[in-house]
Amino acid sequence: MTQELRILAPDSFREKLNRRAFIKAGTATAGMAVVLMACGGSDSASPDTTAAAGGAKEASGDWSRVINKSSGTLAMYTWGDYDDPALVGSFAESSLGVKMKVDYFGSNEDLITKLSAGGGKSSGFDIVVPTGPYIVQMIQKGLIEKFDKALLPNMVNVDPAFLSQSWDKNNEYSVCKNWGTTGFFYDTTKIKKELNTWQDFLDACMGEASGQCSVIDAAPNYAGPYFWANGIDWNTEDKASLDAAEKFLVDELAPHIKAFDSYPSTKLAEGAYTLAMAWNGDARQAYVRIKDAGGTPENWRWVLGAPDTELFMDTFCIAAGSPNIEAAHSWINWILIPENSVTDLSYHGYNTGMKNMEQLISELAPDLVDGDMIFFKPEEVKTMHTQILNTSIDRLVDILNKAKAKAGA
Amino acid sequence: MTAPVATSHRKRLRAPKFALALPSIIWYLLFFAVPIAFIVVYSFAAKDGSKLIPVDYGHLSGANYSNVFDETFFKVFKSTLRISTIATIGCLVIGLPVAYFAAFKVPEKWKAIILALVVVPSFTSFLIRTVAWRIPLAPNGFFSKWLVDMGWIGTQGIQILETPLAVQVAIIYNYLGFMILPLFVALDRIDIRMREASKDLGAGRVATFFGVTLPLAGPGIIAGVLLTFIPMCGDYVTATVLGGAKGNMIGSMIASQFSGAQNWPLGSAMAILMIGAVLLSMIVGAGIVWLITWVLKHPTSISTRIKHLFHERSVSRTREGKARLFNFDVLPIALSAWTVLVLVFLFIPILLVVFHSFNGGSSFTIWSGNAGVKWWDELFDGSVAWAVLARFTALFVIAVVARTVLMRTTKISRRLLNWSGPVAFLLAFVINGMSTNWYETVFDFASIGDAIRNSFIAAFGATILAVVLGGFAGVALARRPGVWTKVFMATVFLILVTPEIMDAIALATWFPRVADFPVIGYPFKHGWGPFNGGMNKLWVGQSLYASAVVTLIVRARLAGLDEALEEAAADLGAPPARAFRQITLPLISSALIAGGLLSFTLCLDNAVISTLISEAGSTTFPVALLGATRSTIKPFWGVGAVILFCVTLGALWFVTVVLRRSGSSSSEIAATLAGS
Repeated sequence: MTQELRILAPDSFREKLNRRAFIKAGTATAGMAVVLMACGGSDSASPDTTAAAGGAKEASGDWSRVINKSSGTLAMYTWGDYDDPALVGSFAESSLGVKMKVDYFGSNEDLITKLSAGGGKSSGFDIVVPTGPYIVQMIQKGLIEKFDKALLPNMVNVDPAFLSQSWDKNNEYSVCKNWGTTGFFYDTTKIKKELNTWQDFLDACMGEASGQCSVIDAAPNYAGPYFWANGIDWNTEDKASLDAAEKFLVDELAPHIKAFDSYPSTKLAEGAYTLAMAWNGDARQAYVRIKDAGGTPENWRWVLGAPDTELFMDTFCIAAGSPNIEAAHSWINWILIPENSVTDLSYHGYNTGMKNMEQLISELAPDLVDGDMIFFKPEEVKTMHTQILNTSIDRLVDILNKAKAKAGA
Repeated sequence: MTAPVATSHRKRLRAPKFALALPSIIWYLLFFAVPIAFIVVYSFAAKDGSKLIPVDYGHLSGANYSNVFDETFFKVFKSTLRISTIATIGCLVIGLPVAYFAAFKVPEKWKAIILALVVVPSFTSFLIRTVAWRIPLAPNGFFSKWLVDMGWIGTQGIQILETPLAVQVAIIYNYLGFMILPLFVALDRIDIRMREASKDLGAGRVATFFGVTLPLAGPGIIAGVLLTFIPMCGDYVTATVLGGAKGNMIGSMIASQFSGAQNWPLGSAMAILMIGAVLLSMIVGAGIVWLITWVLKHPTSISTRIKHLFHERSVSRTREGKARLFNFDVLPIALSAWTVLVLVFLFIPILLVVFHSFNGGSSFTIWSGNAGVKWWDELFDGSVAWAVLARFTALFVIAVVARTVLMRTTKISRRLLNWSGPVAFLLAFVINGMSTNWYETVFDFASIGDAIRNSFIAAFGATILAVVLGGFAGVALARRPGVWTKVFMATVFLILVTPEIMDAIALATWFPRVADFPVIGYPFKHGWGPFNGGMNKLWVGQSLYASAVVTLIVRARLAGLDEALEEAAADLGAPPARAFRQITLPLISSALIAGGLLSFTLCLDNAVISTLISEAGSTTFPVALLGATRSTIKPFWGVGAVILFCVTLGALWFVTVVLRRSGSSSSEIAATLAGS
């Protein structure tokens, strides 16, 4: 399905938004970016970036902006630091009349374990945010509830390219929250050689950056670079390939790894790593954190994984046995309003998959920095592949655990 | 509460001796023995990812155990034991001089101050303290930069984070208080005349310390070692936050088997081997101690010669007046300097937490260079906060005025009226916190208010459970000993030595089953009143360890007291219920308060069990913070920790005041707090 994805911003627009421009703009921009990240849409925030959330700015064109008022408490279970605090807090509460509670998990497996522990019915969560491929398993285990599409009229705002995915053809259970990809981030003052591919990444990790490099703490992501660098499909179920992968990842790569860290941006700014595998949104935030820590963002270079890399899509779903299913629909429908969606995008730096994204950004968030880390060229998108949850997952989890044990030994 | 007591006394001849402990026995059976038994079963089963409980009982085998003894897993096992052992020894070496100094070298008033300073840091959230170590240790941090500027370290800065060394340092830090307190209590109880006698008989300082003081402090050392070593072995928070890939500990590995890999059988096997390893190392430790004392006590030629040598030397030194290297006494100065250093060490992270809660940046650990009070502003919405403060003060003032008036006009005992201050404080807190929208409006950020409130509700409920269960069990143990005592004490001991992660997984896998039971399962599935199922689970989960602690404290308190008082009351015709209320209860009240306080602070900070069993709507502060540590920790977590710290400190102060009023000295308070 990756071929269906299309470019969301033309090249001229991408150049305008590149990070070097951001760095030159200096403190003022950076300061604003801090405000933007730190407090999102609260009233005190910069008007340019968050006015949309306040309702002052509205995107032109034909958009569905249905808001269904609701009541009671709404409990969301999501990834850490993955939503603008206002959109899962005060702003949602004032717009929808619900009281929101947010808890965080660290991996899809954590989410599934938590929901399963409640017998699949009594977890108490309303909205959960699994990654696409896991939805099949969650439907099968009865952990998520079917949507009532009549309550989600704003789904028409979503770009069709991000609907009807393989795991949920008719979007009966899920709708795209945002999608992102994987690459790496390195300190050019410490690693002199220019790194461009996953092979470079692995070489540097075992060479110049040995003991100073971090990888994403998720089984498919840890194995990904090996498969991509060697031209193997990362969804392979071939035993020989998996055996070879284990040999490399556990015996050769693991001893060089400093940390298994899915969100390296903060620790990277603390100076912990010189090379870090990262999701694009987190890497984008790293620039601000490095600046905060008194470092020089210019020294850091973000590289999109090559020749192939990941495409992940996280989705909003409703947990089975949701205590407030009506409010869950109201909120999901509300976040699909373009202004809210763009506010969220500005916060976490992942493409939320609205229609006409280019126009939305230019109208609602013209000052968005590091656009090239959010929007990708068509030829780049072509190299991104979604994970398929198949028989290999147990093996990959096993590899990750062995690698962790090996790295610590 | 007295009803079951009355029955048990009336039917004294028929009721079994363990009648009073029956609630505890049922509780431990249902929520400790059976869940752990299931873990044992899981450990022989196989993984089946397609089921809700991903375990296949089809082919039971020992395969999981042989997998654990895989080379790499075994290494993590060993490194965990190594880190814990070194940290325990480290705590002992660092803590002993402080405890010694506080017990022997300072006046009563300073004892209290030093102890308070040792205890206070452990009332800040364990997690945020651990996270705070990232601040001074960061290679780009101010401390690192300063060291580089001074030319003391290379330009790469401090390279400690994400190594076992960071885990080692932080683990010593995190458990130091748990070592110092029991050490102090043990040393403080030593009759000073014993030491004087030793010196009068010509023993030097060193000989007195090793010959008299240390053996007498033995129980305290053992308590301290147990209180630190066991939780260290199961600790996974420290390793997760600071250890990176190299500082991996077995606790985090087990946790990841349960949540990440969904391989419960393998995780169960690991957990069982871990508890085995913990027990084994304690047996080895006990063996070594026994061996040393045996060698010292039994006059073999070598030991007598050594003793003789030591004695001769110290006696001759004293005689010749060569004992002092300097004219003035160095020891107290060295000890006080050491104590100050240790206290500074204990307070560094706390100060950093407070400092960084004013961070203007977007990440808690990274100081952005400009202070911002934004987080505080957002937490305390100006107008509302003032209104709350005003209401709070008004209620408090009314209570104080009422007290004064009542004291002048009526003859209600002063002792009773003294309670009005603390009660008014609590009342004002409850009225403002629970029945208005205080938290909802003041803490308008990331559900932090909910988390803090949930922490208190959970800790409070678990404490009540622990005090009731532990109180009865403690009385039964001290007053109705029998064959059952040994079995029960073994269970209590087992609860205390079981690493928390093991309890956590046992309960997390047990609750889904219990929820389907009739009656018992109801509160866990549907909750009751304003408390949802998750809160009920938290109460149960947190009460296990806490009730074991209360049991021991109450038992220790009563064991030191003659039963004659109760017997006298009975002889004078008091019915058992009345005798219990008027004699036994006052006797154990200070133990109950101390046990309750200890339980409360332990529960308030409970992250491991709570994370695995909490549900939506019952997320506590440590659970939420642990969730946040997976990505970026925002400065408002520091604010939350500071608020939690202040309130906990208030509770501590309240209890100290109560204990003071009941006439305890600071040493006694410390003794009750340390649970011995």
